Amino acid sequence: MSEPELLLDSSIRMWVVLPIVFITFIFGIIRHYLSLLLTSEKTVTLEQVKNSQAMIRSAKLRENGQFIPQQAFEKRKQYFLAEDSIIIKGKNKPGQAKNPMTDPSMMTDMMKGNVLNVLPMIVIGGWIQWTFSGFVTTKVPFPLTIRFKPMLQRGIELESLDASWVSSASWYFLNVFGLRSMYSLILGENNAADQTRLMQEQMSGAAMAMQQDPQKAFKNEWEQLMTTNYVNALHGIEDVVCTTPVVLEDIYTRERIAASAS
Amino acid sequence: MAVSWEEARDKLRELRDSNVRDGESVVDLGERLVRKYSSKLGDELWLVCEQVFIAALDVDRDDVADMCLEKLSSNFPKSSRVMKLQGMMLESQGCADEAEELYKTILAQDPTNAAVRKRLIALSKWRNWKNPGATIKMLTEYLEVFMADNDAWLELADLYIAQMDYDRAAYCMEELILSNSFNHLYHQRYAEIKYSKGGKENKELARQYFAQAVKLSNNCNMRALYGLLMTCTSLCGKVSQSEDSKNKQYATWAAKMIAEKYNNTWVQDKDVSLDGKKNVTPSKDVPQLMASVQQSLSLLNLQDGVA
Repeated sequence: MSEPELLLDSSIRMWVVLPIVFITFIFGIIRHYLSLLLTSEKTVTLEQVKNSQAMIRSAKLRENGQFIPQQAFEKRKQYFLAEDSIIIKGKNKPGQAKNPMTDPSMMTDMMKGNVLNVLPMIVIGGWIQWTFSGFVTTKVPFPLTIRFKPMLQRGIELESLDASWVSSASWYFLNVFGLRSMYSLILGENNAADQTRLMQEQMSGAAMAMQQDPQKAFKNEWEQLMTTNYVNALHGIEDVVCTTPVVLEDIYTRERIAASAS
Repeated sequence: MAVSWEEARDKLRELRDSNVRDGESVVDLGERLVRKYSSKLGDELWLVCEQVFIAALDVDRDDVADMCLEKLSSNFPKSSRVMKLQGMMLESQGCADEAEELYKTILAQDPTNAAVRKRLIALSKWRNWKNPGATIKMLTEYLEVFMADNDAWLELADLYIAQMDYDRAAYCMEELILSNSFNHLYHQRYAEIKYSKGGKENKELARQYFAQAVKLSNNCNMRALYGLLMTCTSLCGKVSQSEDSKNKQYATWAAKMIAEKYNNTWVQDKDVSLDGKKNVTPSKDVPQLMASVQQSLSLLNLQDGVA
């Protein structure tokens, strides 16, 4: 091919390509600072701390209870399974905040997230598509198959156009995702401008909500603790220890002995 | 010594992550970093500032502490973490009342702030050093909520031991064993508490836990070995014949092990170890140490034990 099949007007560069980059970039930075302003820190109550720590302790008792004397084990088991203990209380109390729709603070959090991320996406995206629609902005420097046409040539339905040409709307989307490393360079790691991260969070959101049902977790813990019986792991330990041969086993002394023998 | 700022930063990061409390070297490395290279550190600067600040308080370098605190409080004027540091500054200047007030305002805003709660307890320990009762009360109230906090359990055990309240101290140590059952120092400590408590059953328990500590430390915990020897010696002659012979067997084993360690680690290499440093226990002390082992064995009429 001696000359390019398509020659782009250089004012497309000035008035379409660069403005799209600029707008997306500025918009990302604005969103970062806006979200810093709007996000509310998640507060934990003393009660929640107590509950979660009690769960940890109870789990540790089940796990390592064999290493403490029987009396001590039974004392702790009784404490955790007493009528007014944290676990029993938690088990009998119906779980709260199961439905995010009934929890106003969660609603506002979701609202903020939507206002900050989804709404501007739609508005800016729509505006860009409307203002800059129909331009062929640039060309990727390698040939692509026909399948890439809907990805790179959104807004231009031209059968004969080569798939490596990029339309203005697609150029916008490329920018939205491609500016990620620029943001982390300028705003530091973990910035809010990063949309791909947000998407990952949304995906894992469902799994986290499952764990946050305290009643179920308490019931589970209660059942497991009820069925845990004491076994003494230290029974006869002296006989095991005191029948091992009196040879120094550690590397430190082995090296020394070897050195002094040579 | 010429340490580049990257090296200093990495070293500080390592110390910070491993929770090493080495005030002098942190101040040595960090002072230059905070003074000259603060723009290069980026967001890590604040972590370094906090670390250097605490280290500076440890080694009494008020100028460095002031500088770090100023940087932090101008950048995070409302942060409770910085407020805690200001409280520590007040403590170091001896203004206990002001510090306490500051801590209480932080707690009023955020009652779940464990670090500040612990500072308050530390403050009380310092003020009521003659009468740990008040501190113990605060610490138990803290543990009522933050019951998975191992350091707090360890501190409470210390306080109870100072009060010679061995039962409660044993409870704390049990909690620590539950939290980390592979730490031989916890087992050894628990055994020591039981041994101090006295009585046949407690001593038998102590013997068991000393043995476990020896096992977990791969026969390296000297203190546990001595403990095993002592416990078995004191248990001898108080119970049945068959128990006696067992205790003698354990005592002999522990004594042999101790003797083996002294002979190999200290006698052979004549005060100088492989890396050329002087040993902590010189070989001239070995006969004396061996004599003490021999003596405790001779109480059992077991002189044949040690070579």
